[in-house]
Amino acid sequence: MIENKENRVIKIFHGPQHPGITGNMSVELDLVGETIQKARTHVGYLHRGFEKLVERRTIIQAFTIVCRICVPEPDPNEENFARAIEGLAGIEISQRAKYIRVMVLEMARIGAQMLWMGGQSGSVGLGTVAQWSIYDRDLILDLFEELTGGRVYHMYIYPGGVRRELPDGFLDRLEQFLDYLEERLPKYDNIFFDNSTFKKRAIGVGVINQDEALKYGYVGQALRGCGIKRDVRKDNPYLVYDELDFDIPTFDGGDVYARALVRRQEIRESIKILRQVIKQMPTEGDIMQKIPKHRKFKIPKDDILVSSESARGEYNYYMAGDGSEKIRRMQVKGPSLIHGFTLLENMLKGEELSNVAMIMNSLGICPPEIER
Amino acid sequence: MKFSLDIKGTIAPFSAIARAFEHPKTICYPSQKKEKVDGYRGFHTNLLETCIGCANCQDVCMNDAIDMITITEEKNAKNNSGCIPRIDYGRCCWCSLCTDVCPPNSLKLESESIWANEDSNNFLYMPKDK
Amino acid sequence: MIDSLAKHYEIEKKAERLFKIRIDQNELLRTINFIGSSSNFMTLSQITCADWIEDEVFTLNYILTTEQRNKNLMIALDIPRDKSKLPTILHLFPQAEVMERDLHEMYGIDFIGNATLYDFALENWKEIPPLRREFDTLAYVNEQFEFRAGREDNKDVKAETKRRRAEAKKLKAKMEAKK
Repeated sequence: MIENKENRVIKIFHGPQHPGITGNMSVELDLVGETIQKARTHVGYLHRGFEKLVERRTIIQAFTIVCRICVPEPDPNEENFARAIEGLAGIEISQRAKYIRVMVLEMARIGAQMLWMGGQSGSVGLGTVAQWSIYDRDLILDLFEELTGGRVYHMYIYPGGVRRELPDGFLDRLEQFLDYLEERLPKYDNIFFDNSTFKKRAIGVGVINQDEALKYGYVGQALRGCGIKRDVRKDNPYLVYDELDFDIPTFDGGDVYARALVRRQEIRESIKILRQVIKQMPTEGDIMQKIPKHRKFKIPKDDILVSSESARGEYNYYMAGDGSEKIRRMQVKGPSLIHGFTLLENMLKGEELSNVAMIMNSLGICPPEIER
Repeated sequence: MKFSLDIKGTIAPFSAIARAFEHPKTICYPSQKKEKVDGYRGFHTNLLETCIGCANCQDVCMNDAIDMITITEEKNAKNNSGCIPRIDYGRCCWCSLCTDVCPPNSLKLESESIWANEDSNNFLYMPKDK
Repeated sequence: MIDSLAKHYEIEKKAERLFKIRIDQNELLRTINFIGSSSNFMTLSQITCADWIEDEVFTLNYILTTEQRNKNLMIALDIPRDKSKLPTILHLFPQAEVMERDLHEMYGIDFIGNATLYDFALENWKEIPPLRREFDTLAYVNEQFEFRAGREDNKDVKAETKRRRAEAKKLKAKMEAKK
């Protein structure tokens, strides 16, 4: 056997056209054999220029394009935009509108976790789980279709309230769906979470260093999978989350399996929140406050920061107005900005090539929100 | 990796076979069609006897998708400009802001959403009169 | 903790858990070191930048958050718009590397000490940094792309209304004259 000692390093691109990535990005890997020596992330295939587009449009025109920044879960974008405009302009929304917004956000959270389950199981080779979870997610999209008029991009959470009233019997249909979903969840345990193939691949792989986790700015399941309990809905509450009773699940270990168990428990917590919302929703109140017409809606010269919890972690919006009817600056920072660069490049050193897809799926890296 | 015996984890996934004989969840398009939902944001309709040609819809559309063109036969005497909207479906994003700002409420969205055509230049849509 | 910081800086409370201080651009490293060591604000969450072209400054905001992730502190500073330079804080917070790369590409700010200031989202970009206010997206689009034909019969509604009214008046005047 001839071993050429100078040319041992091979460079390959994992992506941008690859079934094992969670969006449209690429990771440049330096390999020796099957072990990774160095990784570098490349983004730029999905840059649509939202922050510049918003500067030429009035506020109501901008609200309809903001939801397209994040593809798997568009609702936290609409909610952050609406809350930032209401904070700058000094608008207070009614209690009923707040409860409807919480309902929409939690439904979107369950949908995003279903989509994650399909992606994570596909990266390990278990294709059946994706077929089941995409069907269950389709039932949530049917509920969104009758509530908002669109299946994926809702354009429903408006600065000042929500856009349409709930259809008749909607809360009953939602409750029936939650009963159906709770009965299906143990079946997912049988084929995915207790599956010995998944456990043997996932335990001990992709471990996060617990001492660095808080200092380096990691959020979401990257912290909760290490045993650190952080969630914006409890630490920095917004809307009516301080009136609802729910728990933040954490697991020790810091590996791919711990993060998967955290997400499995979060689906059950979201169902708990939705049942409380259905019971406690006020029946009276305007769904929409009176706001000026679109060319007369001016915001003062000031800036604000709002944050909310999406299915992957903490989502921040910085907004600055300049006294006219257009927004001066809107800057979006999703959880994947730090996870896709700092965390991924450090974690992949020493891992094997076949585990890259599984690690990327467990961190929940969503390229559209990195490069808006 | 040490070998550890995991009987439950090895046998449990086979329970998926029980679902192999269920009715499929997809519908057989085009012999079976998806049922239409009220309130879905589909194609535009414009009731010409109430449209006043004010161009509020053209003003609010942020994609510049709406053109105001001269109407061929007069349907509403109150239409001062003699124009009605026509929508460029290459630019429309179906946000329905144009229906929110229409003063006489003549522009609406129906549940129809499928349109296929061989000519790639055929994308300008005149809303149906209903 | 906020009270102990209030002895050294003037703190503005913007919301229940959001605070803001303003500093000069030469004190950036000293301020971040001091706040990081003497209070609970130990992580960098975001670096934002807004272009105030009428005042000829960029306003940057370094947003720090606590270990419990329950309070946010915005450190605001102004830098000139041309040949803007700032020291990097990469050695304190590794997550600043990608945020500074993003701002360098979009605004043209040079961060001294950061060796990774290559392309982030754009490729083969030959114009000025795009998020600056003087970059006109409409002019760029009209130069680079062609529009499809078929929409030339668009009419301006105000001009049409005026024209039709003038014609109707003329017609009325003619009918009166005939009588």
